[in-house]
Amino acid sequence: MSGSRDRRTAVIAVLAIVLPILLLVLSLNLGAYRIPPKDVLPILVKAIFSDGGGASPAADVLIRIRLPRLLLALFAGAALAVSGASLQALFRNPLVFEFSLGISYGAAFGAALSLVFLGAKVPAQAAAFVFAVAAVLAVLFVAGRGASQVVTILLSGVIVSALFQALLSLVEFFANPYALQALIFWLMGSLGQATWTDLTISLPVIGVGVAALIGLRWRLNVLSLGEDEARTLGVDVRREKVLVIILAALTTAAATAVTGVISWIGLIVPHLVRMAVGPDNRKVIPLSAAFGASLLLLADDIARSAFAIEVPIGILTSVVGIPFFIVLLKRSGKAWL
Amino acid sequence: MKARVAGLVFSYGGFRLEIGELVFPGSRVTAVVGPNGAGKSTLLKCLAGILAPERGGTFVDGRDLARLGGRERARLIGYVPQEPTYMFNYAVLDFVLTGRAAFIPRFSSPAALDLEAAREALQYVGLADLERRPFFELSSGERRLVLIARTLAQRPSILLLDEPTTFLDPRHETEVMALIRRLAVEKAATVIVTLHALDMALKYADSMVFMKAGVVVAAGPPDHILDEALLRSVYDVDIGIVDVAGRRVLVR
Repeated sequence: MSGSRDRRTAVIAVLAIVLPILLLVLSLNLGAYRIPPKDVLPILVKAIFSDGGGASPAADVLIRIRLPRLLLALFAGAALAVSGASLQALFRNPLVFEFSLGISYGAAFGAALSLVFLGAKVPAQAAAFVFAVAAVLAVLFVAGRGASQVVTILLSGVIVSALFQALLSLVEFFANPYALQALIFWLMGSLGQATWTDLTISLPVIGVGVAALIGLRWRLNVLSLGEDEARTLGVDVRREKVLVIILAALTTAAATAVTGVISWIGLIVPHLVRMAVGPDNRKVIPLSAAFGASLLLLADDIARSAFAIEVPIGILTSVVGIPFFIVLLKRSGKAWL
Repeated sequence: MKARVAGLVFSYGGFRLEIGELVFPGSRVTAVVGPNGAGKSTLLKCLAGILAPERGGTFVDGRDLARLGGRERARLIGYVPQEPTYMFNYAVLDFVLTGRAAFIPRFSSPAALDLEAAREALQYVGLADLERRPFFELSSGERRLVLIARTLAQRPSILLLDEPTTFLDPRHETEVMALIRRLAVEKAATVIVTLHALDMALKYADSMVFMKAGVVVAAGPPDHILDEALLRSVYDVDIGIVDVAGRRVLVR
């Protein structure tokens, strides 16, 4: 029995490395502008080693449009899944994800402010990031001294989310129709807006955050036993809790700021991974990164090419994610982890 | 290693724990007994560093526990909780490994040395065969033993156990108490255990602490302090003590 489990884990580990690369290569070939598959690699190589002067339309599509979008999908998927997995372990609650800490509505409100009132002066991405971080700080502030208590912090998250949701509605109410349209589109989530300028800020933040959370993977096993127990095992619970929350907040905020609200990835991926390899975070966290990246890239491929028009990816992930969440809710309480 | 509690005060709501002085000798089992709400578990949690006393504290070889960092304290004192509820169903070995947290830097994972310590601890409690089993699949008795193994992997000099035998059948109760005895003898640990089963305390403990309403009523070797009057004053119920073949037995 144990042997077959080892073999399964090994297969999954190989898949975790191969799948994102395979999907990236396939996705480069996918899109409205047809580029012969055999040309993709030469174009990329040429673009990297030349200064891009006199580039062909194919190179332009690949380098300026497709590549940033695909990289963003990979990074954002990893960010959402790893943050979700970490927060679930930290709060000992399988239904926690970035929504629970107010990150999503904080980001949404920031983007709304920018799109409706501030215009080009403060880009939506920057405003979304600032308010996502502000939302988490507000949650920690509301929780106050009780920040090490799971219930307190989750309730604070609900309160802060409700506040930002109300503020978002207020902005929507005052918005002119054109700004409202842009805002609604942003809220649905899309990877199509990404430019290299956005990515040079977002990707490093996501990269560092995800790497740090992967570094903390075993520590999350200890923290997931509960605060009192972790303390008797020698863990500085308060400090490490805040550390994990900040890392998760920064990575999701950096992702959400450029993609808009893409929900459920942070919930679905860690659970699928646990179902496959068990709850040990030494496996769950890195595998969540790999499969979160793959799943969001795949979802984006479907969103942009399965239908005659591009479907907002946030809608797609919700349509798949909500039924999944309901199934989880029905099964929670049983020993399924 | 000798542990000494001095001038400890802890209050919560209407409850007040007040301990003048209490000494827990090394390489001995001390059983803390008393009715529900006497403050046994609270005392243990103060010793474990889970609760912070308002005044006074615990001193181990003259060192004040409150002044130690979490990591240092965890290497000195291990705590076996009563009935923990966990969310994640870790394999037994992964669970026991968490006992090594005080030895592993924040951004690291257990190394071969830690794995060895965890396996050795499982071996010691006699559950080496179960290392790959999910924790939730174990019986109540096995879970208690795994909890003890986790604390052994932590290699502390002082072991605190909160009612380790509650809800166990007689065989497992005896097994756990015999293991606790071995810890004091073979590992030279200072063992402090809260118990409801007085007969177990009488059989396995070198020393007993009777508590009631947040204070210590009597402390010392059972042969010196235990009599019917003490039991009556602590538990408000008549418990007789009779000699059976040279052993003192409690009857109700």
